[in-house]
Amino acid sequence: MWTRIGDVNRMFGDIDLLQSRMSRFFDDYDRSNYGRVLAGGDLPLTNFYDTGDHFELKVELPGTAKEDLSVKIQGNYLEIGGKREANVPDGYSVHRSERGSVDFTRSFTLPSEVDAEKVEATISNGLLTMILPKAEAAKPKQITVR
Amino acid sequence: MSERKDIVKREEGTERVHRIPMAAPLVDIYENDDEILLYADMPGVDKDGVRVNIDNGKLELSGLRKLVVNGAANWEEFGDVEYSRSFSVPQTIDINRVNAELKCGVLHLHLPKSEAAKPRQIEIKAA
Repeated sequence: MWTRIGDVNRMFGDIDLLQSRMSRFFDDYDRSNYGRVLAGGDLPLTNFYDTGDHFELKVELPGTAKEDLSVKIQGNYLEIGGKREANVPDGYSVHRSERGSVDFTRSFTLPSEVDAEKVEATISNGLLTMILPKAEAAKPKQITVR
Repeated sequence: MSERKDIVKREEGTERVHRIPMAAPLVDIYENDDEILLYADMPGVDKDGVRVNIDNGKLELSGLRKLVVNGAANWEEFGDVEYSRSFSVPQTIDINRVNAELKCGVLHLHLPKSEAAKPRQIEIKAA
């Protein structure tokens, strides 16, 4: 009787292990698409970082040249727009077309004001990186306690 | 690629390990008389991270992206990823002449057809 309970416990333990492996499998599978679902469909995904004295924004923009992008900043409002045509090269027939054409605008309210003069944006390997230095008043300051 | 093998081995223990998730890159496939052309979206992957492997009629693409992160993230919609996808290629491809380039985060893969496979006009002779 007691040995049977040991067997049952071991079976539950194995099932738990299987379940945690399966859920981790699904987590990993879904994580790559999670941001896409949040952003609503086929908008390019973005990451936003705060380093203390500046913000960094990274945007996934494969195949988009800098001429097709427009970036606007006003105070703490940032707007990025762009497009990429789905151009079939001449003389080719299409077997599969998943990438599609993209025409998007995404806007953000930044946590604090940004010095628009000093913003830098570079695009490399289809990844846009923007460095947005904070306005002086918004930078963190050390307060000395007397 | 070897780091993925290590992580799988250690998983048997109780450590929580962060694995790089895999995703399938979106592709466009085109064809004309001379070649098959494949475009694959792999943003953020640089030339060293891309691997194209053709073996026995199977084409495997993979691209590894690791982000260089400064500061605290307010939000992250994408992260490190291993893009991976495989296809069957027809016998008519000349493997020696396959070439690829990575432009703006998009992999352009050219699979030229071997001479014997190109379409030919058959001339009808009057008899």
